[in-house]
Amino acid sequence: MFGLLEGVGFKRVKSAVVPGFRFRKQSTQNSAEAYGVKAVLFTAEKPA
Amino acid sequence: MPPSTTGDAPDLAAPHAAEQAPLEAVIKGEVLRMYQEVADNPRQEFHFFHGREAAEMFGYERAWLDRAPDGAVASFAGVGNPHLRSRLQPGETVLDLGSGAGLDSIIAGWQVGPQGKVLGVDLNPQMCAKAEAHAAAAGGTMQCRQGTMEEIPVPDASVDVVISNGVINLSFRKRKVIGEVYRVLRPGGRVSIADIVSAKQLTQSIVNDPKLWAS
Repeated sequence: MFGLLEGVGFKRVKSAVVPGFRFRKQSTQNSAEAYGVKAVLFTAEKPA
Repeated sequence: MPPSTTGDAPDLAAPHAAEQAPLEAVIKGEVLRMYQEVADNPRQEFHFFHGREAAEMFGYERAWLDRAPDGAVASFAGVGNPHLRSRLQPGETVLDLGSGAGLDSIIAGWQVGPQGKVLGVDLNPQMCAKAEAHAAAAGGTMQCRQGTMEEIPVPDASVDVVISNGVINLSFRKRKVIGEVYRVLRPGGRVSIADIVSAKQLTQSIVNDPKLWAS
């Protein structure tokens, strides 16, 4: 996502992992962790 | 839930072009079904957290959740809190991409005030109607347009801020979506997007599974 935002022309792209995000079911959470799945908050600006 | 990778890889593990169109249609159908289920049966347990429990987990202010209509809170299915970094100002025009039952639009509406404007876009026209009703019940206004995030039904350079919460990862064409977000923003406009990403490339069996994609 970070690369997609920069690639289209956004500037000041920033990302921060969403603390506390997890799946309710442990089996899903385990699979997510195996793939490095996480929730991230992205911010960016379109040049003026 | 097949997300984009955290790196700069091309659009995720997309299937071959010949397979993509029918699979995309199936996945869109599954996405509609899944989120309609959350809206219709918010007390049901899903494998992701939703409703007030999820919103509080992501730092939504309790005063917001107390003030918003119960239906909007109960059907919340976001993955983070785009309001933490949106820096919305009174009078701004906000687009909530994938507005669902409307909680994020309602909160945005409180921040931009009566001089501002909140537009929602959702694949599901029933969700659009629900979000508009929730916004009205919350004392605000919101205009929701049925449409896709790959072809956002909003004019060029007409929006100050785009917010989105757990939606873009559902698209087969994330690059197209981000291009559309860029198109609708005014110069100097900004985004605050909470979404799911993956550090590793997902296997083709995961990518091709509509139920996993939609969840």
